[in-house]
Parts: sequence; C-alpha cells; structure tokens
Amino acid sequence: MKGALAVCLRDVMKFVRQPVLMVSTIVGPLLTLILLGSAFGGAITQAPIAIVRESYGPYSSNFIGILKNEQTCQFGKINCQNSFQLIDAPDLDTALQMLHEGLVKAIVHIPLGFDDSLSVNSKVIVTVTLDNTDPLSAAAVGPEVAQAGQQLSSLIQTSSANGVNMTFDLEDAYRNVLYIEFMAPGTFVQAIMFVSIIAGGVQLVVDKERGIIEGYLVTPLKKYEIVVGVLLSGVFKALFASVALFILAVVLGGIRPMTLFPTPDLVGIALTMFTLFLTSLGLIAMMTAYAVRSTAADLYRVTCFPINLTLYYTSGAIYPLDGMPTWMKEISIINPETYAVHALRLLMYKGAGLQAVAGDFVFLAVFTGLMLVLAIVAFRRGI
Amino acid sequence: MNAAVKTFGITKRFGNFTAVDHLDLEIKNEVFGLLGPNGAGKTTLQRMLVTVLSPTEGTATVAGADIVHEADKVRERIGVVTQASTLDIELTAMENMNLYGMYYGIPRKERKEKIKGLLEVVGLADRAKIPVAGYSGGMKRRLEIVRALVSDPQILFLDEPTTGLDPQARAAVLEYVKRIHEEHGITLVITTHYLDEAENLCDRLAIVDHGRIVAAGTPTDLKRKLTGGDIVEAEFSILPGTAFNALQKADFVLGIKKRDGGLTIVVKNGAEAVPKIVALIDSNGGKLRTITLREITLDDVFLDVTGRSLRE
Repeated sequence: MKGALAVCLRDVMKFVRQPVLMVSTIVGPLLTLILLGSAFGGAITQAPIAIVRESYGPYSSNFIGILKNEQTCQFGKINCQNSFQLIDAPDLDTALQMLHEGLVKAIVHIPLGFDDSLSVNSKVIVTVTLDNTDPLSAAAVGPEVAQAGQQLSSLIQTSSANGVNMTFDLEDAYRNVLYIEFMAPGTFVQAIMFVSIIAGGVQLVVDKERGIIEGYLVTPLKKYEIVVGVLLSGVFKALFASVALFILAVVLGGIRPMTLFPTPDLVGIALTMFTLFLTSLGLIAMMTAYAVRSTAADLYRVTCFPINLTLYYTSGAIYPLDGMPTWMKEISIINPETYAVHALRLLMYKGAGLQAVAGDFVFLAVFTGLMLVLAIVAFRRGI
Repeated sequence: MNAAVKTFGITKRFGNFTAVDHLDLEIKNEVFGLLGPNGAGKTTLQRMLVTVLSPTEGTATVAGADIVHEADKVRERIGVVTQASTLDIELTAMENMNLYGMYYGIPRKERKEKIKGLLEVVGLADRAKIPVAGYSGGMKRRLEIVRALVSDPQILFLDEPTTGLDPQARAAVLEYVKRIHEEHGITLVITTHYLDEAENLCDRLAIVDHGRIVAAGTPTDLKRKLTGGDIVEAEFSILPGTAFNALQKADFVLGIKKRDGGLTIVVKNGAEAVPKIVALIDSNGGKLRTITLREITLDDVFLDVTGRSLRE
C-alpha cells in the first residue's frame, strides 16, 4: 500500500501545482449551476404578443390594460415585471406573418363585437394563437392571457351585476413541437462548437507543438493559404458533424424530421445549410485565432470548456431568452450562437423565409468577418 | 559556381540572449556539417536559413536568394527535414508525399512519378500504401528525407537526422543521405552532434559555439589544426603537483588538459612519448593507473575549441 500512497501523492501534488486545471474542474460545474439554473428558473416575462383588435370599447381597452400590466406572475415569483410586450397588428394575416417570423410569441384576437357582447352578457370567444415551436413560451403565455381575462371578468362582475361569459380558445399555430425538438437546433450549433474546439483548435495547437506548422512555413505555402485551408477543413468537419447529429437525433433521439422540416423545400434547406456554414466559419475562425495564440495545449483545452458552456446556455438553445435574467440576456445579445439558434428555429420548424432571418444573417456575417480578420492576424503574429 | 549558402554577419538575439552572433559562413555544393553542443546556436542559425526566423541583424543568401527579402524564392528552392517528425502518421507514405508535392504546386502526373521513384530509392516502395504509424523510426526518417526531395530542392537542410535511431537504422539513413548528394548533386546542410557522422559524411564542418564559428574546415584539416600528433590519455592513482608541472614543461608535450580522474596530453609522437611520460611520473613520485595512446578525434578538436566535450 505504500506504493498506492506514492501514486496518490504524486497526483495530488501535480493537481495542486496546476492552478488552471484545478480551477477548471470547479468552473465547469459552477457555470452550469449559475447559467442553467438562472435560465430555467425564470418566469417568461416581456414575451412579445400581437394584439388584433377588432372591437373598440371600454371592456377591450380594460383587457389590454390588464395584459400590459399583468401583475400575477407564473412560477410563484414575487417581483415580476409586465408579462407581455404588446404589439398592435392591423389584422390577423399580418399578425400571423409576425408570428411566423418569430416577432411575436402569440396572437390575442379581440373579435368584432367583444365589447357589445360583454355588455349584454352574451358569449365571447377570444382566440389565442400560440407559437408552439417554442413549447415553453407557449405553455406560459396561454394561461397568462387566460388569467388576464379572468381579472377582466371579475372587474366587470364587481362593477355591474352582470355575469360574464368569456372563454379563451388556445390554438397551436404549428404542428406540436416536443421539448427535445425545441432543443435540437441549439444542439447542432453545439456540435459545430465542439468541432471548432476539438478538430479545429486542439489539432492546431497540437500541430503547432509538433512543428507541423513550422513545417508548412518552410514550403512555398503562403500564410493565408494555411489559414484558409485550416478554416475550410474545419467548416467541412463541422457541417459533417451537424448533419450526422441530425440523422442520429432522428434515429436515436426520436426527433421527428417532419417537425423539424414540416415544409421541406430547397430554399429552406439551402438557407439552413447556409446558417450552419456561416456559424461554422465564424466559430472556427474564433477558436483558430484563440488556438494560434495559445502557448499550451492543456490551457487551451481547459479554457474551451467554460467558453463552450457559456455560449451554449445563453444562446436560448435550451430555454427561451424571454425567461432569462437581464444579465444573461445581455450576454445572449453578443453571443453568435443566439443568432444561429434563432435562425435555425425559424428556418426549420416554420420554413420562414430569408427576411425573417436577415437580421441573424447580418449579425453572423459581421461576427464571422471579424473573426476571420482576427484569425488571419493571429496567424501572422503567432506562428 | 555560386555559394549555396552565404551569411553576412547574421545575428539573432532573443531579448538579451544572443543565439547567433555576427556569423559569417559560406557553403558550396557539398555536404556541410554544423557541429556544436546544445544551445550553441546551430539550430537557430538553420531556422534563419530556412526562413522560419528572421535575423535581428545581417542576412544570408540561400540558393541564390536573400532570406529576408526573397523568402518565397528560398522556400521554393530548399528542402527541410526538421528534428521532430512532421509526418502525418494516420496517412500513408504515398499520401504524405503527395500532399507535400501539392504544397509546392507540382502537377499531379509529375508528382506521382517522382514519388514512386523516391520511395524506391529509400526502399519504401512496397510499404507505400500503409499508414506511417506502422513504420519503424528509421523508416519514418527515410520517408521524411525523401519527402523533402519531392520539390527537387537545390539545398537540403537536415536537423539532427539520426537522433533517436538505433545504430542500424542510423547507418541506413546515412547511406541514403550520402547517395542523395552523390546522385542528385544536392547541397546538404546537416546539424549533428554525432562526431562519427560528421567525420564520415561531411566534406566540411563548422564548429559552432556561443553563436559563433569557432573552427571550420574539412574533418582532416580540423584535426591537423590541433598541432598534429597523438593523444595520450593517462589516469593516476597518485598525481603529485610536481609531476604535473614537469609534464607541462616537457618539450615533447604540446598541450595538456586536466579532466576527471586524469590528463589528456597532446604529444608529437605517441610511441616515443609514452615511455617518457611514464618515466617522468615515476621520478616525481606519481603512480599511473592506465595510460593509452590514440589518434586525434574531432572530439579533441571540439574540446580544444569549445572547452567542452561533445560526449558529455
């Protein structure tokens, strides 16, 4: 047993002498706790909702007022903000288009004769159309709207002797999307990130250590040719990984391809692939720049883990951004994965067109451009 | 013919440390050896010559092009075999060489023929299609050397080409290296710390120490520089100071150096000197344990010019 003690002592000594390794064992779980815990714990507040108002009277105004300033919060939170961010839509078609492009999470349709019917106590049906491709938001928004209606009802009942006959009709706008399917696009993006870290960055660091990069430099290869070659191979590997993941998710994960691609058209698939391509190029360029500047493979590997977790958890891949605390939302705004996940969801479940994802593309393109410059500069200097 | 390599006061400093110090060197179409202890600056010198490092001061021409201003041209004209293997062991010999040929933009057909020929030269043709991971150390080295020849370089730089190989593999690698020079007329620049290698392989040598060339010439010239003669190695049980002084003053002794447990004495004529040394020690009350006579080796030259032994 003396031998075992020696082996144990050696491992502990080495562990203590490498603060980076030691810290990394704690940072990963800590980040998971904070990020995942904060993401999942939050109530979905400030969700954008389209209002299609066809009746103009005191009751409908009151109802909208309640929706705007709804104080009853879900998940037992005490100090929550307004539940909704209301957006006026001129008609139902426009509202549906907004829902389709992901601008709103639900449509509340106040029908013609809403006020009249309520004043004479005849039956009123309010239709709430939910974007169920985001099942968590849909599950929160529907009941909250109904609850606002409840408040209106009791308000009417106390002010007049009338009874109220109002029902809420919750409708799914799309085929039912399971939570695992909601998570899928973020997972494709994570596969790209994994490739960027492992196949892109780690290999580069190892090649640098082994002198392969120096071997390149004594040949007529230009530095930009090496960078472009490294990036292209990375994109190829990343696209391969995400497509393979899609197939495996269908075969092993029980994800229904019809949900992810309800309307399989060539343009949609092309746009989806373009999103994956742009994301791959950007993330690989980012990790290449980082890997080239890293002096040690160990340090690189260890720091990549928290970077990956942070980007993934704040991207909205596992929980709607509306439910996140402000500081996480702020990270998500500068997180390229946010835009990739957003674009993929719109393109895949909904078959939304180019204009719905144009903003995402602009962000991803700018990000990718910046990272390419960074990678090339890093290569010039660091190698 | 122009010099293959010519340096003009080439200098490389890393912070306060001067790795290569105003070094002037000329290499013709020959097998040239750079000899020196670890940290002497020979690898830094070579890395500058192959355009990986840029000199802090001075410059050099390699294969007729300036290493600072015409690095692209230099790279097209040289081949480099680094000390650490840069082979992709997951790939076959054929694939390794093919990719290398692509870096130089050699057309496909030409590439194929050349690779086939080169693999035959080093006896790897029959194993060209298995992954390099299955190769022995010597085979990998041979492959790496011929890989550098795909581009028909005018000069081939080899950094410690036989380090880590067993004697048999070393011999094979050296034989191929020799043949490459003889058959292809390629200038070889080899850094090494194996003296036998330097002596048998190289037409000329430069001994590098503290970033400077401390001696240069053919192996024979270098040895002759050590004021001709033989070496007597003597070990003692007792060596009184009077005996040492007497040896130092003796006219047949050309040089004398203390080393662990004994003395290295350079003499004009070994056969005559040995009995005289024995007598001198005896008469001064010393006691010899062993005394050996041998010819001057490069290590003696090395010891003489650098104050260190390569064998340490």
